[in-house]
Amino acid sequence: MLPILNRVVRSAIVALAVVPVVASCGGTTADNADGKKTVVVTYSILGSLVREAVGDAANVVVLIPNGSDPHEWEPSAKDIERLNNADLIVRNGLDLEGGVLDVLNNAQDDGVATFVASDHVTIRLVGEGEGLPTGDPDQEVGAQDPHLWMDPLTLKDAMVALGPTLAEQGIDVADGITAVVAGLDSLDAEVKDVLAAVPESNRKLVTGHESMGYFAKRYGFQLIGALVPSLTTQAGVSAQDLSTLSAEIAAQNVKAIFTEIGTPTQVADAIGQETGVKVVDLASHTLPDDGTYATFLLENATKVATALA
Amino acid sequence: MSAAPLSATTLTVGYGTDPVVEGISLTLQPGESLALVGTNGSGKSTLLKTILGLIPPLAGSLEVLGGKPGTRPKRIAYLGQAHTARFVVPIRAIEVVRMGRFAALGLFGRTADRDRQLVHDAMAHMEVTHLADEPLRSLSGGQQQRVYLAQVMAREADLLVLDEPTGGLDVAGRERYRELVEMALARGASVVTATHDIGEASGCNQVMLLNRRIIAQGAPEDVLNTSMLLQTFGITLQGIQHDDHHDFVIGEMPHGHDHGHDHSH
Amino acid sequence: MYNWLIAPFSNNEFMRNALVAGILVSVLCAVAGTFVVLRGLAFIGDALAHGVLPGVAGALLLGAPGMLGAAVGSAVMIVGVSFVTNRSGLSSDTAIGLLFVGMLALGVIMVSRTDSFNGDIVRILFGEILGIRAANILVLAIAVVVISACVALLYRPFLLLCFDPEQADVSGFSSRRYHAIMLVMVAATVVVSFQAVGTLLVFGMLIAPASAGALLARRIWAMIAWAIGIGATSVYVGLLLSYHYDTSAGATVVFVTVCAFFVVLVAQVAGRSVARGLRGPVSASPVGAT
Repeated sequence: MLPILNRVVRSAIVALAVVPVVASCGGTTADNADGKKTVVVTYSILGSLVREAVGDAANVVVLIPNGSDPHEWEPSAKDIERLNNADLIVRNGLDLEGGVLDVLNNAQDDGVATFVASDHVTIRLVGEGEGLPTGDPDQEVGAQDPHLWMDPLTLKDAMVALGPTLAEQGIDVADGITAVVAGLDSLDAEVKDVLAAVPESNRKLVTGHESMGYFAKRYGFQLIGALVPSLTTQAGVSAQDLSTLSAEIAAQNVKAIFTEIGTPTQVADAIGQETGVKVVDLASHTLPDDGTYATFLLENATKVATALA
Repeated sequence: MSAAPLSATTLTVGYGTDPVVEGISLTLQPGESLALVGTNGSGKSTLLKTILGLIPPLAGSLEVLGGKPGTRPKRIAYLGQAHTARFVVPIRAIEVVRMGRFAALGLFGRTADRDRQLVHDAMAHMEVTHLADEPLRSLSGGQQQRVYLAQVMAREADLLVLDEPTGGLDVAGRERYRELVEMALARGASVVTATHDIGEASGCNQVMLLNRRIIAQGAPEDVLNTSMLLQTFGITLQGIQHDDHHDFVIGEMPHGHDHGHDHSH
Repeated sequence: MYNWLIAPFSNNEFMRNALVAGILVSVLCAVAGTFVVLRGLAFIGDALAHGVLPGVAGALLLGAPGMLGAAVGSAVMIVGVSFVTNRSGLSSDTAIGLLFVGMLALGVIMVSRTDSFNGDIVRILFGEILGIRAANILVLAIAVVVISACVALLYRPFLLLCFDPEQADVSGFSSRRYHAIMLVMVAATVVVSFQAVGTLLVFGMLIAPASAGALLARRIWAMIAWAIGIGATSVYVGLLLSYHYDTSAGATVVFVTVCAFFVVLVAQVAGRSVARGLRGPVSASPVGAT
């Protein structure tokens, strides 16, 4: 018994001896080569606006690559490093960035300056009679909808609040903020114009997941339901939900259903075939090629208008 | 409670609800040896495992070293048939022999000089001292068998239960094995062997012929004859008497040997 | 060179934590994994790793620590397997398969009913080695001490059990009891380690380094030592590669450790061929005379 005890313990000790050596290696954060502050924005849509406002005054880095699903995306080691070393983190709030939540919270706890967009806007709650009752806690009346970027005026509130926070970091871009805000106001007017073509009776939205809430509220649309009845793409689809949805689509004379990131396409096509509605894809979480918020919102609005007019 | 190391009365052995051999009665005294002779599947191993307490008896009574089977681990030595698991474990020959002392040491006992001496002597007797540091899996079959026998010897058991102990051994190995058994018997231990080797059986005090039933039982000269062996093995075996033991060969024998038995040419 | 090899760790506390946790997991898995390999517990080891899913899911639902759920899940697996094996006469492989699949399916059902934490299922399966905190490390360290002590104490019956279960019984060490203890040891290792590399991959940490050790070692303690060394090095290399190439940390570590096994195997086979070639066409006789 004793010899093996010696040997196992000895080996374990050798392995563990590595630990203090490694642990004692002090932490040295990499300094910015150009002396500029680094602002890390979690997702691309908000990132594009921050970039517009900040310009060259600081390095703006978008964490979640454009095209990835912000609800699901998980960080690599380098991403975690980037977050921990940022001068300012700009995040959406309301648990949008599901796969990187812990890291964001840890960074905040460890003292990295963090701006939470949802703290500064009017948060939309899931309303009565909205969508279909599925028993999903995210869908419960009163649940908070994180998709704030679908309404330019909600984003305006966030950007206005961001200005002082940037200033605290020594990034003075009051002018940039003003310009962005003006742009958001005129964008709002443009979108209203585009959507004018859709009559009241057709203003019904069925989407991949409940992401169009703020858009619907701003521009007067009714939310009928979602293929994946949840505020996050991470949920799954049940047979009962789908059949209820098909029935509702038929009953309400919905003209088109909109798929988006994370929507199971076969399910969408099946519903399309069964009910005869158009299936249109919305890039609701992804910036277009030119990388601007304006193009993003206008393209989506145009698709909606074309499908439902 | 009898003092005999091994005593069975109308014992039935088998697995679950399937009996393999029924109605076994035997008594083995200290210093005596018993050979179980039969083919594979005849019930030899089943009986051995029942004696060891590895499987429960199906009927009748069985007393081993004055108690129920399996309750005297310190006084029993077992040599089973080889399992492949043995070749996976990285272990040296000497460690295999040392395992023979585990029963006596239990979980917490410290190895003493006596244990080391027993291991050393056992390996010396089986002529495997030079193989002490070799991994078991690099040894030949015969060498491994010698190591297992050394393990048996190191136990200093009162009852040796051996299943095909001479498998793979060469002539010298068999000699060492015979001496091992003689030494054990001489110090008052009992030995039960299961074997195909009829010659080996002929040197024991008692022989039991098995073929899923007891064909014959008793002293070797009474039991080991052609007709009994025919029932046991299904082939005709003739005996050749040598000075100190019998040899048995298959088939008919030329005239001139005294086997006291009619046969047609 | 320094930047490539050391900087990711010296610059980031989360990388250091991951390394420490990973090394502790290697030690734990080396010790338990040695007996998984020797005793042929690979299948049930894998089953245990997957079968804890409903336990973890249930715990998260109730707001309890995941490890507690994993412990409950593994207990259900072990009891279930032995119940089916003993009462039905079916082989233990069949029993293990049934329990494993059933538990896994139950876990997915549980998670699908409440989709508010779907991301967690990914984390359960693949681990979160980059999210290890001090509390996890403490638990791992305690587990290392406890399991090492258990193995040191029970070395004799464990050795006998691996070598020949019948010999264990005959020597007075109930093969059933020590087999059960081994299973509990494996379950405990899974329960404590899955947070680092995930339930899908912890099995790899259990058997790959130990298997490499089996090839290299002549004695069991050497096998354990090799397993620790190979496991710990794989953790370091895996974390480093995942950092530089943006890959999943847990999966990279396990992949590296399996590669290490194959490197050892190929090297051995090649070495033997070379040795045979050098010795000439006549095959050498085994050591000593028969």
